[in-house]
Amino acid sequence: MIQFENVSKAFGDLVVLDKVSFEIPKGQTTAIIGHSGAGKSVLLKHIVGLLKPDSGSVHVLDCDMANAPQQAIYATRRRMGMLFQQGALFESMTVGENIAFPLVHNHKALSASERDDRVAEVLTQVELPGMQDRSVVELSGGQRKRVGLARAIVTQPEIVLFDEPNSGLDPVTSNAIDELTLHLQKLLGITFVVISHDIVGTLKVADRVGMLYQGKLIEYDEVSRFIQTENPIVTAFLKRNVHLPDATLPALEDIVGGDS
Amino acid sequence: MTLRQPVATLGRFSMFCWTFCRSGLTRRPPPGKVLEEAYKIGVRSLPILMTIAFFVGTNLTLQGKNAFEPIGGQNLVGMFVGLAGVRELAPIIAAAMIAAKAGTEMASQVAVMRSREQIDALEVMGINPHWYLITPRFLGILLVMPALTTLAIYGMLASAYLVAVYQLNLNGAEFLDFVQSAARPIDLIVANIKSLFFGAVICMVCCYNGFYSKSGPKGVGSATNRAVVTAAVICVILNYLISEIVYA
Repeated sequence: MIQFENVSKAFGDLVVLDKVSFEIPKGQTTAIIGHSGAGKSVLLKHIVGLLKPDSGSVHVLDCDMANAPQQAIYATRRRMGMLFQQGALFESMTVGENIAFPLVHNHKALSASERDDRVAEVLTQVELPGMQDRSVVELSGGQRKRVGLARAIVTQPEIVLFDEPNSGLDPVTSNAIDELTLHLQKLLGITFVVISHDIVGTLKVADRVGMLYQGKLIEYDEVSRFIQTENPIVTAFLKRNVHLPDATLPALEDIVGGDS
Repeated sequence: MTLRQPVATLGRFSMFCWTFCRSGLTRRPPPGKVLEEAYKIGVRSLPILMTIAFFVGTNLTLQGKNAFEPIGGQNLVGMFVGLAGVRELAPIIAAAMIAAKAGTEMASQVAVMRSREQIDALEVMGINPHWYLITPRFLGILLVMPALTTLAIYGMLASAYLVAVYQLNLNGAEFLDFVQSAARPIDLIVANIKSLFFGAVICMVCCYNGFYSKSGPKGVGSATNRAVVTAAVICVILNYLISEIVYA
């Protein structure tokens, strides 16, 4: 579904990705974690083709995102959705117009009433029914994320990308977004890719987790095996992120087991 | 200071314009957006443009009188207004005002969209941002620039006439005769052609600076500032070059 092969990317002297290779399977939630500045967002931008690797290749839905012509990249992007950190909603439009936006431009065969029905359906799925006519500027942080998520799934994409879905949210709202992500993945059965530094939320929603550190993917496995790793960098990251100085790995297993 | 940065900026700007021509001008613009932009650029800029044009006309007449009175040629004021006003000042004033009003709006809007990841969102949704954001602004500004320039010319001539006749007590018919002898219909056409170039420059420079702005309020502010200054300077130079080609 998504395949990285020896992908390297540097900005000047700063190496952000260093020969990263891994594959994201279909129909699962894969999370990539790491410290701020570890290269998570750069990795995500390679998936959507906003950045090109200096070397290596990124294949998404059989499209070589580094070398394919622009039209092919746009066509592949239309098969994906993305939830941005701050939602990236258009303030001049209503909630409904924002969600309908990709339908208006990419699914021109749909009639206005079909579009409205689809918008109402996804708004219900993100637990904001009847909010079509609300202005975006009136929304809270959590609502913006939900509307952003509704826009990401409205075209029924094959892949949905999440860029720090919990950033800027309080713990309660953050937890609600995690629950919603889990629920939607089960409901829609599509491939989710989550980029986050929130380990608790990540372990809750993900089937597979990878950790980026100094440009390398130092660990990438199913959640149950990931949390049992003996890699000292990963264990240190896991402990620090759950804010338990003496946290043990079984406690993390409890987190995963208790919510999934 | 090395030449590397200006050359790199020029290269990036050229690529930006090329990408826009290739992907933004080869499809029909987003429905309804061109007229919306034309309305915003045209109507919102009109009051400030007409005010400035009016008072440039008054001052041009006053200074024309000061220049020609000592040699007994008060009537040449009309010729002076026709030559300097119609051929040069009105088009460049229109460009400066559109850059100041519509150009700042373009640069800051696009920069804010960049800052809030809305341009990335367009890309990820498979919608070409050059087409969605720049094409309507580009066509909109081209649509209104000739009209705004023509209105600026007539606004300036009207104020010049009022000052000449009612303040300086010059003969009105004679004043208009001299204006017409200096500013022929071809000069109006040249002024309008200039305005199309100015409109294209304002749009591309402002959108480019917004497109590649840094995030945050400081990034948006400096992108807007840089955009307007650059656009105004290019327009002034372009005005000279076109005048040199046409009138020299």
